[in-house]
Amino acid sequence: MEPLVRVQNVSKIYPRVHRPGERLKAFAALLAGKPTVSGAEVLHDVSLEVQPGESFGIIGENGAGKSTLLKILTGVISPSSGHVSVNGRVAALLELGAGFQPDFSGIDNIRMKAALLGMSARRLDRKMDEILAFADIGDYVYEPVKHYSSGMIVRLGFAVVAASEPELLITDEVLAVGDESFQKKCIRWIERFLEDGNTLLMVSHSMYQVQKLCQRAIWLHGGKAKMHGEVFPVTQSYLAWHEEKNAAERRQRRSLKGESGQYRVESLQIEGWPDDGTALLPSGSSLKAELVLKSPDGRPPVALIGVMRADGTPVYGVASDYDQVQPLALAGDSYRFVIHFDQLPLLPGTYSLRGHAMDPEGIRLFDTAEIRFSVGGKSREMGMVQLPHRWE
Amino acid sequence: MNPISDTFFRQMVSRAIRRDYLENVTGFALLFLQPLMLLAIYTFVFTTIFKARVAGDSSIAFVPYLAVAFWPWTAFSESVLRASGSIRSNAALIGKVAIPAEAIPLSTVTAAFLMNMAGYLAVLLVMQLLGTPLNVPGLLAALPLLLMMFLFSCALALFLSALQVFLRDVGKILPPLMTFWFFATPILYSSSVLPERAAVLMKFNPMAWYVERLRDFILFGNFELSARDLAVPVLTLLLLWAAHRFFKRVSSHFEDFL
Repeated sequence: MEPLVRVQNVSKIYPRVHRPGERLKAFAALLAGKPTVSGAEVLHDVSLEVQPGESFGIIGENGAGKSTLLKILTGVISPSSGHVSVNGRVAALLELGAGFQPDFSGIDNIRMKAALLGMSARRLDRKMDEILAFADIGDYVYEPVKHYSSGMIVRLGFAVVAASEPELLITDEVLAVGDESFQKKCIRWIERFLEDGNTLLMVSHSMYQVQKLCQRAIWLHGGKAKMHGEVFPVTQSYLAWHEEKNAAERRQRRSLKGESGQYRVESLQIEGWPDDGTALLPSGSSLKAELVLKSPDGRPPVALIGVMRADGTPVYGVASDYDQVQPLALAGDSYRFVIHFDQLPLLPGTYSLRGHAMDPEGIRLFDTAEIRFSVGGKSREMGMVQLPHRWE
Repeated sequence: MNPISDTFFRQMVSRAIRRDYLENVTGFALLFLQPLMLLAIYTFVFTTIFKARVAGDSSIAFVPYLAVAFWPWTAFSESVLRASGSIRSNAALIGKVAIPAEAIPLSTVTAAFLMNMAGYLAVLLVMQLLGTPLNVPGLLAALPLLLMMFLFSCALALFLSALQVFLRDVGKILPPLMTFWFFATPILYSSSVLPERAAVLMKFNPMAWYVERLRDFILFGNFELSARDLAVPVLTLLLLWAAHRFFKRVSSHFEDFL
């Protein structure tokens, strides 16, 4: 099947045009047909394809190039290099109130937007009641748009887009503006739109929305495609990356106040996996970990073992003295603790296992070791752990 | 980018008319008032102060002589001046929605022509009623002439509006240049009164041809054709083609420079 959207090796460089000299130089280069080479590169060699009937998510941090990519897809700007083709009737909801004329009334702006979406005047007349009902802003449609709230602008924009019966809808996080009931209306509309075999391309910061609506996704980072493929691995990696970034910041802030000293962690291992963070456990499988602590005075230390999300949010932790467990003494004042988590109820994501060495009284914490591991699987459940539950 | 759809272009034109002409307090009346005021000023200056007469033909009074050329000139200069800044003043539209960018200057020109031609029609009617005989076949012959003038304005509008995105100085230089062009065009005078050297230069001014042929047709009923009658329309079409090509070439880069 011919893809509906095809983006091949697209890059976008904004030329430097702030000083008059730079403008002149950039303009001369443009007239000479030379490609823009110097300037701010906001997209670098991005490729993707979207098939008809598919929905596709674009995720990434602020400034990753998501909106630029959408602008290129909708033809608002042209890429510096690469090729883009979009087939079919496209409707885009990019920025809030884009293309609206603030001094004109809602009705006038509906006409303008409908004309931009390729609706004929006659078709618009037939659809006008439907649009007004969908927007549901009452007599405000006769007021100038500059008096509208941001929610009302989104309502109007979405209503016209819905009435234009697009085959491909491109949205950029605008739905977040509407109130609860309007958001629900939009989601219901989008779900029906997808059921009818149409195509959606969306930018969102809500991984839940992306997982719910999209089959595939691309993760943009610094203008480059960092990951591209099935929605679950991409969104999970993105979330994990975020958590890690937050945790790294936090770790840096924390000063080295742990007492270096007597009770030390010798090793921490997840059975069956190397300790380099590549451990990947299927959701619901069991985890067996081994922690070896070193004691300076021949007294068996207390072990504290915990699981945290990659950003450092604790999930569960327990100390050996709480469970009244005695370690196995090894040669050379080492003590071995083994803990089993059967049917680990963690939801897919990246976590870390931490082992701490505490004094025999279980009061002071001396040393810490950490191993990262991932829980795989596809799930739209939210949170960190699956709570046992039943529906009635 | 999509081709301009009829519905969209009509929307743009009506938007431009409302924005440029009907937003004023005097609204629609201003359309007639402004050129009438200017006409009154020029009439006062040239008939009372300078005692200007129409050279070579005393059967035509100065005011109709001026008016026949003045309205089309206003349509031309107003549309080109407005359109040249139109891309920059619509920057919000260009950067946010995919619109065929040429619709912006072209709708501005169309709106200015529609409005000024309405004024022109009213003025011609007033003149006929006040006793200046108009040539009826000449009025019909003026229609293709005005159409060509519209295309000439479109050509300049496309070229200058695109250029102004890249070179902002254009917006500053253009108004005085337009004033110069006004005086370099035989609107207030007849080119027959010019010294020979200036008359040669006048041959390179397409607007001179437009206004003189308008007078020939409408006031004098003179339909004699010369080589220039072919040259200027051909030049106009060539210019339009070149301006459109230039516009197409650079329009995809507007967003980078706005």
